Amino acid sequence: MIEDLIPKVKQMIIDSLRIEGMSPDEIETDAPLFGEGLGLDSIDALQLVVAMEKEFGVVVPDAATGSTVFASVRSMAGYIEEHRK
Amino acid sequence: MICWMFPGQPIAFADTPSDDPEFKKTALLCQKTTGFNPLEIHTSASALSQSVRLQLLGSCVSLHRANQLTRQGSGADLLAEHSMGIYPALSASGSIDNATALALTWRIGVSVAEMGLQREYALGCVIGLTCEVLETIAANNGIYIANHNTSRHFLLAGEREKVDAALVEAMASGAFSISSFPCDAPLHTPLIEEITGKLQRIVAEYNFLEPRIPLVEHIAQTTLTAATIPRFLVEELCRPVYWETTYCFLRSHGVTRFQEVGVGSALSKFNRWIDSES
Repeated sequence: MIEDLIPKVKQMIIDSLRIEGMSPDEIETDAPLFGEGLGLDSIDALQLVVAMEKEFGVVVPDAATGSTVFASVRSMAGYIEEHRK
Repeated sequence: MICWMFPGQPIAFADTPSDDPEFKKTALLCQKTTGFNPLEIHTSASALSQSVRLQLLGSCVSLHRANQLTRQGSGADLLAEHSMGIYPALSASGSIDNATALALTWRIGVSVAEMGLQREYALGCVIGLTCEVLETIAANNGIYIANHNTSRHFLLAGEREKVDAALVEAMASGAFSISSFPCDAPLHTPLIEEITGKLQRIVAEYNFLEPRIPLVEHIAQTTLTAATIPRFLVEELCRPVYWETTYCFLRSHGVTRFQEVGVGSALSKFNRWIDSES
């Protein structure tokens, strides 16, 4: 279930991006991760790709796919739900 | 052991701490020294190229941040630099003063910018490919890897059409992302060698003191001295930045904390990636 994945995705973001002083509850589920919101960039994107593959076995093949997947925590959880084996 | 890291030129104009009276002092020094005021980035010194103004903005923010940290009593045991971050890094080391750092940023920036009057150049950011794959692509297209930032983050430099072709090839080879930026000159490539005489003459006009804080350079990870600084300032523009090697060198020599002193957090993010692989 996507709702069950959401806190795990938030924790993965915090851990993989080494965001200090932020708890999972402080990340908005539907807020944009790039640009506004958390202000992530393409360097962060590849770090999240690796973390998603490591933790959930899900591959994000390129930045074009990534721009959809990393739109928000909810879209990440949805992609994981859809693609994990 | 604490290391201050001085990043290179920002790729876009960033917000400045315009309300900070100390930054205003640095901005005024920049205006007096170079004609460019970073508090008026879109209107000041419009004759300067965007790259030169970005370089000056980067130097101003780094100089301000270093002064701020010093005032707060947060010192550095070691200094490191990436690309054009060398000028504020030299100032932080005590080798030159802030005005000289800004003058060097400006004069060297303007000199390399003249290359852009003859040809169009670009930088190409490639994320996701290995160095071996990218070296082949760069060679296929007659361009160069200018920055080795991590095992998967590289910057290409060369003539604009060739960089664009290389980026298409990189994407077809499985790069995660690509992006290109116009620039005045192919910094950190052998193409700069055609103007080394002019650069040497500029650098020779300045006096460099022995750094009081050790400053580790990004080519061979040596500690710069008053005698080696002039040569490095020219050589570094003709050779790639090896950031991953520099970071690993610093870590293996006892640095436990890295503080990025300038615009953005790209170096900290590169370090995070390198750590994740070790």
